[in-house]
This record gives sequence, C-alpha cells and structure tokens, in this order.
Amino acid sequence: MRRFYRIAAIAILIGGIAGCAGQPGASPSLYQRLGGEAGVHDIVTDFLINVADDPRIVGYFAHTNIDYLAGSLEQYLCDISDGPCTYQGPSMARAHQHMGLTDASFNALVDNLQNAMMAQNIDIGARNALLGRLAPKYSDVMRDQ
Amino acid sequence: MKFYQIAILLLTGGCGLLVEDQARAGSRLPGTGGVMQIEGASGGGLSPWGVLAGTASDSEVGVTLGATRADVDDYHLMVSGVAANLYDRVELSLAHQRLALDTIGGHQAQDIYGAKLRLFGDVLYRPWGVWSLGIQHKQLVEGQTLARAVGARDTQGNDVYLAGSKLFFDALAGRNLLVNTTLRSTRANQGGLLGFGGDRHDHRKLMIETSVGIFLNPDWIVGVEYRQKPDNLDFAGEDDWRDLYVAWLFNRHVSLTGALLDLGSIAGLEQQRGGYLSLQLSL
Repeated sequence: MRRFYRIAAIAILIGGIAGCAGQPGASPSLYQRLGGEAGVHDIVTDFLINVADDPRIVGYFAHTNIDYLAGSLEQYLCDISDGPCTYQGPSMARAHQHMGLTDASFNALVDNLQNAMMAQNIDIGARNALLGRLAPKYSDVMRDQ
Repeated sequence: MKFYQIAILLLTGGCGLLVEDQARAGSRLPGTGGVMQIEGASGGGLSPWGVLAGTASDSEVGVTLGATRADVDDYHLMVSGVAANLYDRVELSLAHQRLALDTIGGHQAQDIYGAKLRLFGDVLYRPWGVWSLGIQHKQLVEGQTLARAVGARDTQGNDVYLAGSKLFFDALAGRNLLVNTTLRSTRANQGGLLGFGGDRHDHRKLMIETSVGIFLNPDWIVGVEYRQKPDNLDFAGEDDWRDLYVAWLFNRHVSLTGALLDLGSIAGLEQQRGGYLSLQLSL
C-alpha cells in the first residue's frame, strides 16, 4: 500500500505542476501562438480542404456556403483563443442542430483540424491548448442530434 | 490460437498496415483506445481502462489483435489476444496467457473471456471522462494441480471492474495527460495464474489500479502503472505490480508498447523485475 501512496503522490505532483503551467503570465495568447489572423486563416483553409477530401463527412457540407463557413470558423477560433474577435454566429447547439452528426463524424472533424494544425507547423502546446478549449463544446454540438 | 501464430499474423499484417493508414480505421483519434492489456481488454499493460479497444466510434466496429511477452527474473509470460469493439459501446475479448516457470519448471496457462460495457462519457470530450464496467471470466487450463497444491480454492473465477479514463489537454508543458483509475473485485492469485481464493483469504477483495501517462506527441506516450493485488495464499506473499511504459502508436492500426516491470514476489521468488513488449494490430 505504501507504493500506492508514492504513485498517488507522483500523480498529485504532476497535477500540481500542470496547474502551475496553466497560470497566466506575460506569455503570448493562444491566438498569437496559432499565428494570429494569418495563422488562423491558414488553419481554417487547410481544415476545410481536409474536410472536402474526407468521404466520411464531406456529405454534411453539401449545401453549405463554404466562404461563410470559413469566415465564421475563423471568427470562432479567434474568439475562443483569446484573439481580438467576438464570435457573432449562432451558438454551437444551434449551428449543428439536427444535422444528424455522429460521434464518428465529430471525431473525423477533430482529426482534420489536428492534421491542419500539424500541416501549418503549429507547435504541440498550442495545438493541444486549442483542442482542449474546443473539446468541451462537444456537449453543445451534439445536444440536438 | 497459439502465441506464435498470432505473432506471425501480426507481423505479416503489420507490414501491410504500416503503409496504409486509411484502410478500415475507426474514427476515434489514435491512442484513445489504449493498448491491449495482459488480460485482453483495452487498457495499459497491466490494467483495463475506461476506453474500448481500437478506434471504432458509434457507427463503427473494430477488431484488435495483440501479442505480448513479458520476461522477469524467474518467469516469462506470453499472451495472445483478440478484442472486438462494437459501436464503441461493447468490447468483447479473448486472451490466452501462458506463464513459464523458468526456475521452478513447468508452466501455467489460462483463458480469459472478457466483456466491457461503456457506461457513459468520452475520454476526450466529457469533463468526467469515460467510464466502463467490465468482467473477466478466467479459467486455468493448465497447472490446476499446482494452483491447488499452493492453496488456491478454485481454478476459475470472475473479476469485475469499473474503470474510468480521462485525457487532460495541454496539462503539462503543453502535453496531454491521460489518467486512468480502475476498481476491481477479484479473488485471483497472480491474476489467476495461481488460481482463485486461498487458504489465507478466500473472499473477494476490492483492488485499485491506476496509471498516469503523458503524450509526448500524438504518437508517443510514456507513463507509469500500478496494480494492487490481493494476498490470498499462505505459502508465499503476493505483491502489487507496477511498471514504467512507453507506447509508440505508429498509426491507427499498429502500436508497439514496451515497459519495465516490477512484479514483486511471485510464488516465493522475490523481486521479479524485467521487461515487457507488446505488439498490437487494429482493423
């Protein structure tokens, strides 16, 4: 049992360090780490190209105005990454209601976003931070499916 | 199926799948199915986790094959297993373990039939992670005599467990942290290889198993595992297991896991330490 306490102590220690790492400081905002306006634009463009090439989910966008979607996505990512924007589109629940999304299609989207960020050489910390901010939106996106 | 047959199958299949990433893969992100643990369930090396095998999502099915070899001072264990993931809701698994008693002589073998039901949640997207309830029916198929001779009451038994897994994004130096906790009700001695129940204790015990791993990048995870174990037999003490692991997720189909093991005392032979290597293939 003593070993268990030791491992538990390590786990708590790691958790503690993780907490400290999350403290705000003079470090650049997530928006800046994603490359600012140009960076987010490139990520979104790459992401939408990936989606268009993905037979698993391209069907969901058959009747979508892609230019509008791209602009809306850029604004949303700017807002959520502490950039100088305020997202003005519909809520995540509203935007996705009754699209018939499955977990598989949600995962495919995340996969495409991850690949877009890697293609744009976004560093791993910024990628994980953005995914971490988007992950809790799952509940809203999938609410009315 | 014998260990070597599985291993050969894995090697030949693996070569094809190394190059073809998109072939029949599930949609869940790579790594979210863990690897096949020594009892056939998806998890780490030693413990089952809350996630289900492979990367199948709610509209998909998947099959995972695994071959594992663990070598410690006086024993080596070989495990071959197969697991099916049905719609990321149910996992069914079958594993065959063969423990060679290199110093004492002879060997023990058991079959493990596993089922795991995902109760709720998601390892990435839900604040409480993913939680599953599992059962492992274990049957000692060789070495029953030895198990009884050392004081075990039965040569078959059922482990029931509740397991939860959660990934914390950007948790440590920008890396994602994967945390797992498992509560297991069991009578198994050395996982069942020395039978079930014993002359010292014969009742079910609730054991805790836990692990923490960090994704260095999307393809590499390193971590530690701990598995508490009962101590039912009078003839020799049984210790908890722990390991330090590293897993390389080559793509959605192929992963290789290595670990340094500390299994403590086994059947009177102290300080069983060594290495572990596990190859798995998901379709």
